[in-house]
Order: sequence, then C-alpha cells, then structure tokens
Amino acid sequence: MSTQEALGKKPLLVLEKIKENLERLNEKMEIMIELQKHGRKDIQLPFADAPLDVMTLLSLPDHLRKTAMTLCRMGRATADEIAQQTKRARAVESAYLNQLVIMGYLKKERKGRKAYFFVDRENQG
Amino acid sequence: MTLGKILAVHSYKGGTGKTLLSINLAATFAEHGKKVCLFDLDFRAPSLATLLKVEKAEHWLNDYLNGACEIDKVIIDLSDRVHNGGKLFVALANPATEAIRDMSAKDRKWEMRALGRLLALRTSVLSDKAFDYLIFDTSPGLQYSSINAIVSADLVLVATTFDRSDVDGTRRMLRELYDLFEKKTEVVLNKVLDVSSRASKDDMQTKLKDIYQVPLLGVVPCFCDVLKAEGGIIFAQEKPGHPFTKILDEMANKIDAMA
Repeated sequence: MSTQEALGKKPLLVLEKIKENLERLNEKMEIMIELQKHGRKDIQLPFADAPLDVMTLLSLPDHLRKTAMTLCRMGRATADEIAQQTKRARAVESAYLNQLVIMGYLKKERKGRKAYFFVDRENQG
Repeated sequence: MTLGKILAVHSYKGGTGKTLLSINLAATFAEHGKKVCLFDLDFRAPSLATLLKVEKAEHWLNDYLNGACEIDKVIIDLSDRVHNGGKLFVALANPATEAIRDMSAKDRKWEMRALGRLLALRTSVLSDKAFDYLIFDTSPGLQYSSINAIVSADLVLVATTFDRSDVDGTRRMLRELYDLFEKKTEVVLNKVLDVSSRASKDDMQTKLKDIYQVPLLGVVPCFCDVLKAEGGIIFAQEKPGHPFTKILDEMANKIDAMA
C-alpha cells in the first residue's frame, strides 16, 4: 500500500518541480525580452549592491523608476503587489523588477512559490 | 477615518518663505484641532529650534537618520502652546556647526538609508500615533535631504516668489524633478506686492497656472507686520485675526479638503 501511495505521489512531485522550473524559466525569458526591447544601453552590468538613492532613482528610465519608486514605498513586495499599485501587467512588473535586480538595486528572495523583491538598505556599505 | 498626510514644503531658491510657511501651516492645523508634527529637514541651515524657542533637545533628527535613536526620542511636544485642543509636535535639526558639516558630508548609501528612515515615518509616526499631518520643512534646491523629503511626501508645496530667477528655476524643477517622481504638487506664491485689485488677482492665477502647470494653493501678500516681527511671533498662533493668518486658514482648509 505504501509503495503504491509513494508511486501515486511521485508524478505529482515531478509535476510540481516542472511547474516551478517553468516559472523560473518564464522569469528569465521575461528579462531577456525586456533586454531586447530596450537594448542594453540602459543597463550597466553588473553592480552588486548599487545604492538605490534618490539621485539614482532620478537617473533611471521612466518605466523602471515607476517600479523602483513603488517598491521603495512598499519596502517589500511581489511582482503582483507592485502591479496592483502601478496598474501595469504582472509580467511587465516582474520583468522590470528582475531587471532592477540585475542592475544591483534590488534584492530578490524566494519564499515557497512566491518571489519577494526588496531594497536592501541596512546591509549595504 | 481618514488617513493622515505627509506634506513637504520646498522651493527652488532660498528665502522664499518655506520655514515661515511650514511653521504657520503646522500651527494653523493645530489651531484647527489637528494633530501635527513639524520636521526640520533643513540640515544646512536649521532654524526651527530658534523660531519655536525650544531651548534644547536631547536628540535630533540627525540622530534618527543616523540610526542612533528611535523617532520617539526626537519628537518634542509643544501642545501646551495650542489653544483649541489641537496637538503640535516638532522634530528638530541640530544647529551645531559640526552637525551641519557632518550632514553635508554623507555619501549615497547613507542618503539611501535616510530615505528608508523617512519613509518609515509613515508607519511609525503618521499611522501608529494617529497624526493628521507630518510637515517636512526642507532645504532649497536639489539636495539629497530635500529630494528624500519630496519622495516621502504625499503632497509637495512649492514656495515661490515673482523673482525671475525663482520663476525660471521653479518651472524647471517642477518639470525635471517633480514630474519624474509623479508628485502631487501645489504652488504657494509668496511675498506678492499690489495683490489688492481683484482683476489683477484673477489674472495672476491664470498666468501662474500657465507658467507652472500645477494648481495654485494660495497667494500670500508681502506683509510688513510679518517682517517686523523678526521671527519672534508665530502669527497663526498669536494673531488669529491677522490677514496672514486668514490666508493660512484658507490654505489649511484647502489641503484638508483634498482626497
């Protein structure tokens, strides 16, 4: 019986794993699409821990500033929560947030299926 | 219950009346029965300690932004000066020369953390202590501390005069700074001469809207009484019948009525 149960659960686990990997792949695709759309000119790679101060906010392109400002106010949020504030699509915000992570301005942390973005103010410098 | 608001008072040039406006607006809100805290974010030229006649503070806003103390230690209760049961508090900038020097030598990472601490006031002071208004008095121009204050605020009041360099600079600043942060902004035109004739007042309002493309919150004539007081009197508290106080009453009511 127990072997049967285990056998029954295994495909589910595999499916879960595949789904998770697909989600990550999707995020990476979003970043690549974003990079293609805007060209690489507005991205200076790679700054680990670049401070997201107000002068930096000012120098960001408009589409990224909106995302960065919203996260600054919220402190910590998922792409979904940011999208609710900016009234833009979740996939768009996800791409912008990941772009800001690549630029070194934001940090990203996974909790289960959700990815949280935040400004790491206290652990810098 | 309505949520409290954070106001930042800013200007392009110095001497446009930011501090006078901030103090009197805070006092006006308090006289209207509101709970207000005034923050001196002009670390280059702190002046609220003198103008509010606060002899000494245990802790300064500098300490809070440095992460050396909690905001509760900085806020001073001046409610005993308010007549109508309103509450007035103040958080002061350290006027010591060394403190001014220290604040002007901060790096970008410090400024980023300072922004985080200013943003945190929305929860720790505005919501948790049920304030109606936090008012940030800032340094003029494009300075870190001022832009941090602007970014943290719900509404920015820009004090301006008819001086040409001020008009030009303010217009540029509205377009190239405020627009980028998508800030709700209102202009206060200060030190206006010959405001008396009605026709010229309407004319002036239209002209200003054309120039700045943002709403005009109020027009403050140049009052010799205010200048003569040499910063020794807070008109909104001590001269309830004065025309200057009446104009501030109107401005406070307009802000109250905003969504």
